[in-house]
This record gives sequence, structure tokens and C-alpha cells, in this order.
Amino acid sequence: MTDKTDTLEDDLKTMIVETLALEDVDPQSIETAAPLFGEGLGLDSIDALELALAIHTEFGVRTKENDENNRGYYHSVETLAAFIRQEQGKASVPGA
Amino acid sequence: MSAPTTRVSQDILRLARKGRIVFTVSSYTVLAPFGYVLFALTYALWRGDELLQMRRMQALTAAAYRFMHRWLHLARITRFDVATKLEHLPEGACVVVANHPTLMDVTSIIGLLNGACTVAKPGLYQRRLLRGVLHGSGVIEGAGDNPMGSGRVMDEAVERLGQGFSMVIFPEGTRSPRDKLLPFGRAAFEMACRAKVPVVSVAITCEPVWLSKEQPLFDPPMQTPRLTLATLAIDDPARVDYDSRRLCQVVEGRYQQWFLGQGAQEPSTVAPKDTR
Repeated sequence: MTDKTDTLEDDLKTMIVETLALEDVDPQSIETAAPLFGEGLGLDSIDALELALAIHTEFGVRTKENDENNRGYYHSVETLAAFIRQEQGKASVPGA
Repeated sequence: MSAPTTRVSQDILRLARKGRIVFTVSSYTVLAPFGYVLFALTYALWRGDELLQMRRMQALTAAAYRFMHRWLHLARITRFDVATKLEHLPEGACVVVANHPTLMDVTSIIGLLNGACTVAKPGLYQRRLLRGVLHGSGVIEGAGDNPMGSGRVMDEAVERLGQGFSMVIFPEGTRSPRDKLLPFGRAAFEMACRAKVPVVSVAITCEPVWLSKEQPLFDPPMQTPRLTLATLAIDDPARVDYDSRRLCQVVEGRYQQWFLGQGAQEPSTVAPKDTR
């Protein structure tokens, strides 16, 4: 369980660095609970769009544009991973 | 003059300045509703072709901003020459970016450009009296706290640029602190890359600084603040293969360089660098 949890978080960290071409950032140096925007990793709104596109491509999870919870989902690697698990969980339930 | 006399005259000067500010704010409070009604009437009467209406409303807004700055100049609250020419501006649409030392940046830059589109905070855009006028002027409602909302903002901005309107964006996202520039966001540069229009960098100074985050309205400096705007550079996104990340780095690096050397070199003497 722990391994599975770590894998998604690690995958996300690698995806963030590769998708956003963060040349000076080592994926392992990204703290799982640290903010992605502003004072944390310093991502901006365009980065968020690119990240959403990559998450859709990689994990099949679509981020709704007008979802008022988006800020919470995209707060950190930890919250993003929880969001992906939640959406994947919904998709795996028949009729959901 | 002895020290106590100097102190007394400084106190009188400061009091006089505060009096002028109170007078100006009172004038605004009394006159603003009439202004809103006038804008709303003009908006209603000029209904017709949407793009033409936007241009007219933008020109009217720019004229109102210039009037305001003339008034502030005459009242010796700030010094800003509304006849300043921003040199080397391209003929067509462009994305104008600027540092953001004071609250007067938006009004001064749009006044000089004689109209442009910009992005307003949702809280401002949703105000009942302003919404129609802002919409009619081509102002785009910002994304607020929603990180995914910038997709809509981007689409609308690219559409405006395609229609021939210029966009004014402050890439720091908020007013600059006194001693540094905040990191630049990529939105302005992404707009320019998608619409394939140049980025015009404008350097703004306000000496001594006022209406910044640290120097609020009712705490004016002793000297009359002097606001200056000048073209710093013009960048064609084709030079960086329409890569907004690289374009942002180039422009931000140049601003940092300018900011560090600001004490030694006024922005008006910085030769615009056309990278096209």
C-alpha cells in the first residue's frame, strides 16, 4: 500500500518536472505536501493548464474548468494524488 | 533655516498634501456615480457593432484616465505627463507588460495607449455598476482562485488580440514590493505566443513611491511622487519559436537587469531593444 502510494506521488513529481521543463528541479526534491503554486514550487496558471492536460493524458482524469475545488486539488502533489485516486475510483465504479 | 522651523514647514507641507488628497478622494466619491451613469448611458447609446463599441468605450476610458492624471498633476498630488509617448509601439495589436509599483500604473498606461484590454479581478468585474461597462470595453474577467480558469482567460485574450486590441498585463500579478520585482507569471507571454503578436515591455517608476503596498493613500511622501513610463524593449515571440517559457525568461531577465540598474539609469534613457 505504501509502495503504491509512493509510486503515484513519485510519478506526479516526475511528470511535473518533465511536463513543465523545470530544468533545475530534481523530482525527489519536491516535497509531497508543499504548495505547487506561489511560494512553494512557484508554478503559475499556465503551468496548471499544462499539468491538467498531462494528468488527463497520463491518468485519464479530466479536471473540470469550473470546479470550485480545483484550487484544493492542485495545492500540492499530495492533494493532486488524492484527486486522481478519487476520480479513478469513481470511474471504476459501474454507473458512477 | 533652523531645525524646528524646517520641521514646522514640513508639517505644513504634509498637511497641505493630505488636504489635497482628501479633496480629491471626496471629489471622486461625489463625481464617480455620475461618471458611472455617463459611461452606462454612452454604452447604451453606442450599441451596435460590438468591436466598434469596444474601441469607443476604451477611448472614452483612456480619456477619463488622462483627465484624472491631469487633475492629480494640477493638484500637485502626483506628477505625470499624459503627453508622454511610448516609443516604438507596433502598429497593430501587442501585449504590453509592465512592472507594477503603484495603483496608478493601470490608469497611466491605458491613458497613454489610448485604450487597451486588460484582465480585471472577478470581485471588481462582478460589481453591478461596472460589469456592463467593463464587458463593453473588452475587459476580461480574471480567473480568480481557480487555477483552471486561466484557460478561458487565455482564449478570450487571444481572441481580443486577433481582433486588433492590445492587452495590458502586469506579469507579477500584483503590485511590486519596493525593493524587488516579484517572479513573472507566463500568461502574458503565452497570449503573445498564441496570437503571434509582439510583447512591449514598459518600465514604470514612481519616485518617491506612493500607492504601493507599503505606502498607502493617506500616507503620502513629502515630495510629490513623479510617475514615468518608458518603452524598455519590444520582443517578437518568433525569435524564441513561440515558446512562452523562454520569452518570459528573456523579458523577466531584462526587467531584473533594469531594476538593479535603476538608480544609475532612468528608464527614458534605456534604448528599446527590438529583437524582431
